Amino acid sequence: MPLASYQTSVPVVVDDVKCIADKGCTVCVDVCPLDVLRISDMTGKAYMAYDECWYCMPCEADCPTGAVTVNIPYLLK
Amino acid sequence: MSSPFESYDDLEDADERLQAADPGERRVAIIALGQSGDPAAVGYLKNMVSDPDAGVRQQVAMALGEFDGPESAAALAQLLVDPEPIVASAAADSMAEFKDPACADAILPLVTHGHAFVRMGALRALKELRRKDTLKPALEALQDADAAVRVQAIGVIGFLKLEESIPALTASTADPDAHVRRAAVSALAFSQMKPAADSITRALKDEDWMVREMAAETLGSNANGLVAADQLIAALSDAFWQVRLKAIRSLGKMKVDRAVRPIGGCITHEQANLRKESAAALGEIADSAAEPFLALVANDSDPEVRKNARWALQQITARKAKISS
Repeated sequence: MPLASYQTSVPVVVDDVKCIADKGCTVCVDVCPLDVLRISDMTGKAYMAYDECWYCMPCEADCPTGAVTVNIPYLLK
Repeated sequence: MSSPFESYDDLEDADERLQAADPGERRVAIIALGQSGDPAAVGYLKNMVSDPDAGVRQQVAMALGEFDGPESAAALAQLLVDPEPIVASAAADSMAEFKDPACADAILPLVTHGHAFVRMGALRALKELRRKDTLKPALEALQDADAAVRVQAIGVIGFLKLEESIPALTASTADPDAHVRRAAVSALAFSQMKPAADSITRALKDEDWMVREMAAETLGSNANGLVAADQLIAALSDAFWQVRLKAIRSLGKMKVDRAVRPIGGCITHEQANLRKESAAALGEIADSAAEPFLALVANDSDPEVRKNARWALQQITARKAKISS
């Protein structure tokens, strides 16, 4: 699985202000069927570690604070 | 996949975090309680319905939805009247998941609440509980000033499937709101009696196309639907293809021989799904008079249409063989 080792534009964007992963929440990480989300060791917030999104949306739908946004490509809308 | 909250040894660990000053931490503890699956979690959750943070109360409402039962219903009833719309909305969604008829005791008093959203949420929750004592308040709610409440009241009545509610549902097919009329036509589907079929047939002439569409669809599954065969054939000329499609399907299901030519007239329509449905309906009827119409779509550009046409011709051949044998 390719690792996004540099800053890039990924489909799943997490609002660090709203994210409560630093309080112990891991909902988005756990619902992701491709296991591409992680909790950052530095910020304590969730982020997309691997750009392999299927746009299945549970991470956005289940986030308790509405911090996750999945940007669906125009051609999939 | 492991639980995100496996670090909690028992509910008491989560309970400690429910007292945290940070609303985020309280929220995470509530998620843990919701995911624990332990009915004892309801006791902790119901103590959080008055939390000062709306996000926390919203999370409580979501977590309570995991525990079907009267204790959860009582806590959610408090959250349904919350002044914050996100909390009330989450409570309404969670309540709608309940199946335990005992939940109705906590929800029933809200049917006459001053706010339309609360009345609507309560009726929506009562629907799947299917308790006979919900019929009377639901019938009264048909007179509610808010159309969304009337729609949910029809849902309660429709799920109960009681013949005694047919006159009220019939009256609702003349409601000023189209959504209410559509819900009433849909709810009448449970009855296989002629008065229900007559009401649905009248709805075929409704000014709203979605009501007409529902009527055309519902008649196909009514034992007395054949009495409306002529009206369904007339609906094949409806201005909306959606209505025509459902009329074709119902005529096919009821195997109305005299509908072959009118349905055949729809088989070359520019909408592929109308052509597909026409071919399928002609196969259901399986009358040899349909063969020239099916020949028209033998080389249709849509493979689904061609497939249905081939299947329809097989049905006709099988019927011929059955008659000659």
